[in-house]
Amino acid sequence: MKSSTHIQPHWVSKSLAGVIAGGLLSFAFVGLIVWFGPDGLKGTLTSSELLWKTQFNMWIIAPIWLLILSMTFLFKTGKQAWRYLLLASAVCFAMQTILRSAL
Amino acid sequence: MKVRADILRTYQTLHTWTGITTSLLLFIGFFAGALVMFAPEIDRWATSPEKHMPAIAAERYDELLQKVLQVYPKAADSVTLHFDKSLSPVSWYEQGNGRGLALDEVKWHGTLNSDGELVTQLVPVNTLSAMLDMLHRTAGIIGEIDHHQAGIFVLGIAAFAYFIALVSGVIFLLPTLVKRFQALRRDGERKRFWLDGHNLLGIASLPFHIVIAVTVTVFAYHDVFYGGLSKLYGDKPLFPGTEPSKIERKLADLPGVSELVAKVEAHAPGYTVSYIRYGNLTKPAASASVGVVNENQLMRGALNDYVFINPYTFEIASSSAAHPEQNVWAKIVSTFFSLHFGSYGGDLGRWAYFLMGLAGAGLFYSGNILWLEKRRKKGIQQSRSYKVMGALTVGVSLGALTGIAAVFACNKWLTLTSVNINQAYLFLYYASFFSVVLSAFAYGPARTAIYGLKLLSLLCVFVPVTSFIATVIPDTALWEPNSLEALMVEVILALFGVFFWLLSKQVTRRALLNEPGSIWYLKDSTITSEMSIRHSV
Repeated sequence: MKSSTHIQPHWVSKSLAGVIAGGLLSFAFVGLIVWFGPDGLKGTLTSSELLWKTQFNMWIIAPIWLLILSMTFLFKTGKQAWRYLLLASAVCFAMQTILRSAL
Repeated sequence: MKVRADILRTYQTLHTWTGITTSLLLFIGFFAGALVMFAPEIDRWATSPEKHMPAIAAERYDELLQKVLQVYPKAADSVTLHFDKSLSPVSWYEQGNGRGLALDEVKWHGTLNSDGELVTQLVPVNTLSAMLDMLHRTAGIIGEIDHHQAGIFVLGIAAFAYFIALVSGVIFLLPTLVKRFQALRRDGERKRFWLDGHNLLGIASLPFHIVIAVTVTVFAYHDVFYGGLSKLYGDKPLFPGTEPSKIERKLADLPGVSELVAKVEAHAPGYTVSYIRYGNLTKPAASASVGVVNENQLMRGALNDYVFINPYTFEIASSSAAHPEQNVWAKIVSTFFSLHFGSYGGDLGRWAYFLMGLAGAGLFYSGNILWLEKRRKKGIQQSRSYKVMGALTVGVSLGALTGIAAVFACNKWLTLTSVNINQAYLFLYYASFFSVVLSAFAYGPARTAIYGLKLLSLLCVFVPVTSFIATVIPDTALWEPNSLEALMVEVILALFGVFFWLLSKQVTRRALLNEPGSIWYLKDSTITSEMSIRHSV
């Protein structure tokens, strides 16, 4: 009983979850910033704004991914890590699709 | 601060594994990176003063450019004017293009003499700083993947692990953070000193390390990130498209250099122009890339900001320099780059980054020492991993240092021979590196460290000795430092020499301690018997 409340190591599945599902989530999250954040693609951008905003969008993928990856090991099990990260990605992508057609 | 025990345990294990797998790669990257902070000074030190042609007054650049384009029409494709007095006023490539580490590039250098005549000479491009930069970006890992150096991707993966190591290090230090930060215990166990030192270095330089881990990830994988981003953009373009110009260009219409400089400096107040690289001057695609410097700004490049401008119409295609209409995204992106390059705050910023780079190398080395001390068993019998990691820790770190020092030590002497100096650099580096690594496995870490550090120290000191020889025997083609910057290179090398010599003494003392089973222990060796005799006398 006690072990179920503690963090299990599950190094391989958690690392893979952090890299793959965590990577997906970081892109999914950045997708929302890309479209609906300040100077998003939904508005009109000058070419200078687009030039630099795209670079900014690319840059923030890395810290978000790295943060997710390093926090993935807080999940209790590897399975949970996969499940929550994929779910969060799906939510972000769904929001992006809905908002893009609604707005 | 309280953290649950299972979280602490998890992150302690993570810290250990991510640390031990990346530390040696990062050691090389950080040490070489610290040196690259002074790349222009190192290149200036590395080449004979005769190769640099005298500077000219600002108003003579128009005349200089016109004469170059008249006599050498090929230069119209790509020619650079340097306003930095330590570089020849004009240069262009006879062979090569200055991208990456190419070993056989040749450049024309030119200037005007006092009679206004164009004087030029062909100079093979020296790649000492470019080689250090290669070590910085690849840790010396050889090979290419899809025209990119494989080592860059390896360091990109290492950056992921390194970031986890930073986060996990902070998490498991949290409960005792304040207490540990103030303590550098020298008494008690030897391990304590290394542990406190490691924690102090790590916490004090944490922001710097976070910046480096994130930026290295981007530098390694930006193509992958842009690829993913283009999927998110759907049918929207990532970057604004530009219509290629169809207007034919004639050199006769080219506005003067001083006009271009004035235009750029008006665009970015507070900046001064350090170079102008003209491209395709006789074609519709004519362009000028202008390097501009302002020490009070966070600059996009390692040495400057960039302004891309049409040299005929003065239309600015893009600019990373801080200017009144600059948008916030441009400012943020330039800041990311600048925080990696240390291109802010002028020389003070560069010295700070130099020291932080060295401290980073120290942090990774101390991490390995802690790993080793933790795994050392009582008694003589040790695990294989302890012995292998011990040999690797000494071999790789000392090997990289020796390789770099060998290149510096031989540099001026190599110019007396007819060998391709850039190939000789690579040969010297890798030969020294692998010799030291092999020695660490064959003769053990202790002996390799004691003799290797002495050799390393001598190599460092050999640099100022070379200059001394150049001074007392003026007939050689060797040269002494002719600028403050070049002199500083030699002073720093001399200081490194003293430091490594003292370190060798320290390792010898350690070998004498009766700790069989430690990688540092030496039994029945000539060193220890000599030393013990000297000590007993």
